[in-house]
Amino acid sequence: MTSIGLPHFLIVGAALFALGMVTVVTRRNAVGILMGVELILNAANVNFIAFNHFVEGPGKITGQVFSIFVIVLAAAEAAIALAIVLAIYQTFRTIDVQETNLLRQ
Amino acid sequence: MAEVPSNLRAYLLRLGVLAAGLAGIAGTALLNRFAHLGLAPTLLLEYVAVTCVIWGLNGFLFRTLPLSGVMLLVFSAAAFGILFLIAYFVGGIVAPLLFDTAGRFIGFVRLADLLFYAFAVLTIAGAAGCAFSRNIIYSAWAMLFAFLGVAGLYVFLGADFPAVAQVMIYVGGILVLILFAIMLTKQIGEDPRLTNAHLGLPVGAALAAVTVGTLSYMAVMSPWKTVPVPSYEPVSAALGTAFLTDFLLPFEVASVVLLAALVGAVIIARKEIKEHSDTVLE
Repeated sequence: MTSIGLPHFLIVGAALFALGMVTVVTRRNAVGILMGVELILNAANVNFIAFNHFVEGPGKITGQVFSIFVIVLAAAEAAIALAIVLAIYQTFRTIDVQETNLLRQ
Repeated sequence: MAEVPSNLRAYLLRLGVLAAGLAGIAGTALLNRFAHLGLAPTLLLEYVAVTCVIWGLNGFLFRTLPLSGVMLLVFSAAAFGILFLIAYFVGGIVAPLLFDTAGRFIGFVRLADLLFYAFAVLTIAGAAGCAFSRNIIYSAWAMLFAFLGVAGLYVFLGADFPAVAQVMIYVGGILVLILFAIMLTKQIGEDPRLTNAHLGLPVGAALAAVTVGTLSYMAVMSPWKTVPVPSYEPVSAALGTAFLTDFLLPFEVASVVLLAALVGAVIIARKEIKEHSDTVLE
């Protein structure tokens, strides 16, 4: 049995990405779709940091810098998207994406 | 003695006999183990102790079962036999097998590897709970475990600052925002079990299986140029230096993006804008 290497982390990232994609594709609740997007961003971050650790080598941290930027953009995206969800809810009284198909009241 | 003891004294008597019986079971086992008590006295003492336990429990648990005299002895014998079989099974068969397997297992797997698998299972189980739960509150809490598992994986990869940022921003910020949004958009009358309905779940699961298979095949079969000895050094200082030298422009742009997102979120979610929007638009 070999030690933990790069493929182990890539497989975890792949599973995380796939589950996030399922969440985005199958959910009808807008907040649920947002949670799927967060899972996908986490999967990308795991891959970034795994490649930084195992491929880029000691002393180089470009992958970690990228992961920090991804986290920053995820925070901004969550704030904006949840504000939009609240606005949609105030307009339509539902956040089911099957029923919110108008851009105005 | 089957009826409920009407006064406190009978209760206390039952309770005392129950405790004495439990102590007798444990004490006899210890005597047999360490003082080399013979087999026949051990079995006799255990039987007496089990009888005491059954009589004590009779006042609390089996109120519909009238146990007294001979019935009590027979019932105790049956319970004693079952307990003896279970104890023999556990002590004679399961425990040696378990210890043997564990010893062989630990020979192969190091503790760090076990921790990695624990974090990986935590992450994937949390993500699966988020993807497949029918209640959106449960989905949000499952995502908490996914985030914590990912932070643990970061620690394994020598990324201490991203791990702490993950816990603070995702768990402390984004998850709280999501929970707020769920609470604010919940309708009172709707069924809480169906707040997170699915659309075409079999197709989605098939899609996930195909994606995991393809990506895992690629991850395992690709000839990655890995470094021989990855380092585990603190990265916070190096990250700060990188942000202020090589990545200064992206860093400033990220600051502006965050400010714009803050202002935009306030403007979009504010109620007053929406109330006047008709007059403004028309």
